[in-house]
Amino acid sequence: MEQYTLRFSGAISLSLLVALILSIVHIPHTLQFWRPEWVALVLVHWAILFPRESSYLHAFIAGLLLDALWGATLGQHALGFVILHFIAIRMSERITPKTLSQHFFLVFICIGTYLLVNLWILGITQDKPADWSYWFPLLSSLLVWPLVHGLLNQLHIANKSL
Amino acid sequence: MQLKDSSQTKTLHFLSFVFASLLLISADYRHAVPAVRTALNITVYPLKVLVDLPYNTTHTLLRFFTSHEKLSNENEKLRRLVTIYSARDQKYRSIAAQNQRFREMLETAERYDDAYLLAEILTVDSDRFHQTVTINKGSKDQVFEGQIALSGNSIYGQVIETAPHSSIVMQLSDPKHTIPVRNARTHEKALAMGVGKENIVNLEHIENLEDVNIGDLYVSSGLGLLFPPDFPVAVVQEKHYNPADSMTTVTATTVTDFRRTRELLLIWQKSRTAGEE
Repeated sequence: MEQYTLRFSGAISLSLLVALILSIVHIPHTLQFWRPEWVALVLVHWAILFPRESSYLHAFIAGLLLDALWGATLGQHALGFVILHFIAIRMSERITPKTLSQHFFLVFICIGTYLLVNLWILGITQDKPADWSYWFPLLSSLLVWPLVHGLLNQLHIANKSL
Repeated sequence: MQLKDSSQTKTLHFLSFVFASLLLISADYRHAVPAVRTALNITVYPLKVLVDLPYNTTHTLLRFFTSHEKLSNENEKLRRLVTIYSARDQKYRSIAAQNQRFREMLETAERYDDAYLLAEILTVDSDRFHQTVTINKGSKDQVFEGQIALSGNSIYGQVIETAPHSSIVMQLSDPKHTIPVRNARTHEKALAMGVGKENIVNLEHIENLEDVNIGDLYVSSGLGLLFPPDFPVAVVQEKHYNPADSMTTVTATTVTDFRRTRELLLIWQKSRTAGEE
């Protein structure tokens, strides 16, 4: 099995920061419904490749920051990301890391669950979104996954085990 | 054994973080932890400024490189406007003084002039379910929660959270926002509720028999004492009769164009605070 090492320490935090920035960059209102869940994608990537280095603390803090940035109920995205991280780590043991089709399946399950948790919290705390547009980010996230995965792959090197 | 231990601690970690999140959600839902909210708002403010920076710079650069001719034209136009407005202001002052005298005669509370502060909106998106914006003025500038924000002569929204150097303003179109309004033509009252669509509000509690035309202007009624009365809010765009319902569904476009607004005016209503004290 291949072992990976990060190119520099803090790569995980840096990529999460970039994902947070992408989550609040101004785009037209209609396009906002298609904005991929950048932070969730980055978390899934690190959970698959570095199950030891990426921790629940990363997911929790990224979630809290996203709550503050988006003006959501504090803890809403934190809960979603912690559960997403749990599922991603459990499922990463059961997939082959290099098959894209299996990746798609994993991303679909992870982000789907994350959105479901979000919907549940939204339903409790305020009027929940009524239409199907709520699920658009699931589709757009799947579409940009190869790009995110490919870019984040540049942040680590594979050292072949002897 | 070692491996089982580590997986057990991982599960314990997971459960504790889930528990922490749930605790935080229930606390924040009841507005029980304003300090945490403020601390997080302070933490993320630099990030918002960073994202806003390119927009801000292009804006400044464009302003820097406008031609002299255009600027002098604009200056001329503004100067003319100021002359007209100062004449109008003089008239307003005499009417205000007269009003003051009448109020003294009637022995009612005096009214004072309001104070204003201009704040800049950061070009940063919020959640797609919230219509909120971040501005660059905060509690250090005496901004308070529940303060009214205007955009020129129309209502923009109200401040919902403050941090020392920034605050968050909820727009009229946010699903959680409601403002009491009245029809400028017929004086019939209604409530303008946000629905989460850009520049759109729904006018609630309008009966089927009520006289509402497309293009009618609704202004703030001042009921509820939060919003100042007689500021333009929305223009009726569509109405639907539903035979099964005694109320008409009326959709209206907000007078404020939330897409274009980059600056807003915060207002301190002296008459109101003086009345309360």
